[in-house]
Amino acid sequence: MAAKAVTKRKWTKKQKKEALWGLFFVSPFIIGFAVFMLGPMLFSFYGSFTNYNLTSKMDFIGLANFKRMFTQDELFWTSLYNTAYYVAFNVPLTAIGSVLLAVLLNQRIRGIRVFRTIFYLPAILSGVAVYVLWMQLLSPSTGLVNTVLSWVGISGPAWLFDPNWTKPALILMKLWSVGGAMLLYLATLQNVPQQLYESAEIDGASPFGQFRHITLPMITPIIFYDVVTSTIGAFQIFQEAYVMTESGTAGPANSLLFYNFHMWNKAFVAYDMGYAMAMSMILFVIVLILTFINLKLAPRWVHYGGGENA
Amino acid sequence: MKIKKWKSWLSLGITGSAALILAACGGGEAADGTDTGGDAASGDKIHLEMWSFWGEGARRDAIEAALDEYNSSQDEIEVEYVYQPWGDIWTKSLAAIAAGNPPDIIVQDINSVRQRADAEQATNIQQYLDQEEEDIQSRFYPQLWDTVIHEGEAYALPFNTDTQVLFYNKDMFEEVGLDPETPPATWTELEEAARALDVKNGDNWERIGFYPRWSIGADVWALNADGGTSWFDEEDNVKVNTPNKVAALEWMLEWQDYYGSDTINRYEAEFGQGIADPFISGLVGMRGQNINYYLSLRDNAPEDFNFGVAPLPEYEEGSGNWSWGGGFVLEIPQGAENPEASYEVMKYLTSTEVQEQFGMDSFDIMANQEANENLMEHPDLTEKGREMYQMAHKNLENTVITPVPLTAPDFNPLINGQIDEAFLGNKSAKEALDEAQASVENLVEQHQ
Repeated sequence: MAAKAVTKRKWTKKQKKEALWGLFFVSPFIIGFAVFMLGPMLFSFYGSFTNYNLTSKMDFIGLANFKRMFTQDELFWTSLYNTAYYVAFNVPLTAIGSVLLAVLLNQRIRGIRVFRTIFYLPAILSGVAVYVLWMQLLSPSTGLVNTVLSWVGISGPAWLFDPNWTKPALILMKLWSVGGAMLLYLATLQNVPQQLYESAEIDGASPFGQFRHITLPMITPIIFYDVVTSTIGAFQIFQEAYVMTESGTAGPANSLLFYNFHMWNKAFVAYDMGYAMAMSMILFVIVLILTFINLKLAPRWVHYGGGENA
Repeated sequence: MKIKKWKSWLSLGITGSAALILAACGGGEAADGTDTGGDAASGDKIHLEMWSFWGEGARRDAIEAALDEYNSSQDEIEVEYVYQPWGDIWTKSLAAIAAGNPPDIIVQDINSVRQRADAEQATNIQQYLDQEEEDIQSRFYPQLWDTVIHEGEAYALPFNTDTQVLFYNKDMFEEVGLDPETPPATWTELEEAARALDVKNGDNWERIGFYPRWSIGADVWALNADGGTSWFDEEDNVKVNTPNKVAALEWMLEWQDYYGSDTINRYEAEFGQGIADPFISGLVGMRGQNINYYLSLRDNAPEDFNFGVAPLPEYEEGSGNWSWGGGFVLEIPQGAENPEASYEVMKYLTSTEVQEQFGMDSFDIMANQEANENLMEHPDLTEKGREMYQMAHKNLENTVITPVPLTAPDFNPLINGQIDEAFLGNKSAKEALDEAQASVENLVEQHQ
C-alpha cells in the first residue's frame, strides 16, 4: 500500500527518505509546538467557554464570559483603551526611532563602533533593574528627566504619578531600548548596494532624496517585520506596569491597567481562569486581525529586492 | 542493504527521541520516586516539604531553627524548608496544586484563605482539630481565626500578623510644648498636634507634622472612621460609600490641600530607607506605620532617638481606635500526600514556645496570643521591644483583618482607581466613592 501511494505521488524512494529526514530534523520544533503551544492554545480556547478556576470548577457556560466582558466588565474597556493607546504610540515611535538611529550609526566616521555599542547597550539590559532605574529617572522632583527639563525652563510632569503621563512615561522608557531593532536595520543598511547611491549622486539626488528613494525602500522588508512583531509584543505589555506601580496596583486611576494586567488579575487574583482565557482569545483575535491587515497592506509599500514574486 | 541500514538508524533515532520525551514528561513522577527512596533509607520517616517566601534574614533563620528542632525532637516526620521568592510563590503554588503535585505546607496570605478553600486549593483540617484535646482555636486572636474558617470549617492555622499604629517623635513633642506622654487620641487632636509640629519657612515646608497617607492606605482611615467596617461588612455587603467613609476621604483630601500636592510629592521623592527615613531625619513629626517599623527604627535611628508609639487616633471620641492588619497562615495545599503529618507540623509551629521564639528572633507579631503576652514581659527583649509587644497586643483588640470577599475578589482596582481620581481633584470624595460603590456592586453581580 505504502509503495503504491509513493508511486502515485511520484515520490522516489530517495525523496521519501529525504522528507522523512527533514521531518525528523524539524521534529523537536513540531513536538515542542504541539505540546507547549498548540495544546495550551486549544485548551485555552475550550476553557474560555467554561467557569474554569484551575482547581475545582470547569463547567461549560457557553458565551457567558464573552457577554460579561463586553457588557459588564468596566475594567475590560479601560484595559483595552490603555493597551491601544500604548500600541498606537509605541509601535510607530520605536520603528521611526530605530530607523533614524540606524541611519545615524551607519555613517563612516571614526569611533562609530563605540557609538553603536553605546546605543545598543540598553537593549541587552532588561527586566526589573531597568524599570527601577527609570522610576528614579522619572521621579517628579528629583529625577534626572525633570532636572534636565528644568534647565530649559520646562517644569516636567509628575510622570508615573499623573494618570495623563504614566503611559507617555512608559513609551519614553521603551524608546530608550530601540537598540535591538536598530541592529536589524543597521545590518540591512549595510547591505544596500553602494552603486545605487553613486548613480543617484550622479543624477543629482540630495541626501534626503537618497534616503527617501533608496534607503527607505531597501529596508522596508525589515520595517515590515519590525512593525508586525513589535505590534504583537506591544499588545502583551504587562511587566513594566506591574513593576513600576506601587505594589502592582496598575498605576494612578488605573492608567496602567493594560489588557494583560487585567487578565492576570482575573486569573490569579480572582482565580477566574475561564474568563481570563476568554480575554486571551479576544486578544488573539485582535492581534490576528491586525497582522492580517498588515500582511494585506504590505505589498503596497514593502519592497522586495528580488521582484514581486520573491 | 544501504537503505535498510538507513531505515534502522532512522527508527533508532525516532525511538530514541520518543524515549527522551517520555522521560522528560515523567520527570515529576521520578522525583517523587526518589523522595520515597530517601524515606526508606532513613527508616519510615515521612518527608515533608514546606514552602515560604522567607529567603534571608531573621525570619529564615527563625523558621529553619524551629524546623531543625522539630526534626531532631522526634523520628517520624522530617520537614524540609524550601524558599520560594515572593514574586513566584503564589503562582508557583497554584500551579503545583492544579498539577496535583503540591508541597506539604505553604505559608499563605491570610486574606485569601477562604478563596482557596472555596476553590478546593486548601485542605480542610477540621477533622484533625476535632480530634484534639487542646482547643487549638483558643491559641489565636479571634479575628485571625475567623479568616481560616470557610463554611464553618477550618482550612489553615494563622501564623503571624501585624497592625497599624502611630509613631511619634517625643523630643519634637516636648520642643513644641506638647506632652510626650499623651499622644493624640482623636483625629481632631491629631490635627492639633500636627499644626504644632509643622515648621514652615516662607512657602517652604521644613517639617511636616503629619500626613495621613504616608505609609497608611486610604482604606485604613476609611475603616477607622466607619467603626471598623472595611469596604465590605461581615455579610459581604458592599459598604464603600457610607457617610463616615466619605467623611474620611474628605478629611484626607483636606490634608492634601493643606500641605499641597507639590510639597507632598517632593517629600515622597526624598523619602528613603534607613537613615534617610524622614521620621528619623526629623522631616516628619508623626507617622502612621505598620508596627514592625520599630525594627527599622531600632536598626537605623541614633541611640538617643526618642519615639513613642500609640494606637491610630479615633475618628471621634468613642468611635474606637480601629486599625487594620494582615498576616500569614500555614496551609496544607489540596492534594498534599500527608495532611495529618503536615497538620502536626503546623500545630508545632503555632505552639506558644515556637511562636514566642519566632517573635524573639524576627520581631513579628505572632498569631498566638500567649506568645505575644510572654514577649510583653520577656527578659531577653529590651524595654522598647517589650513596649512594642504590649502595644501590638493591645492594638489587636481593635485590629480588623479584611479577607477578600468571595463575591468580588478582584475589587481593589475599582476602588483604588476612584480614590486616585479624588486625590487628583477630578472628583469629589462623594462622587468617587459613589462610583466605586456602583462598580463593586456590579462586580459582585458578575460573580453571582
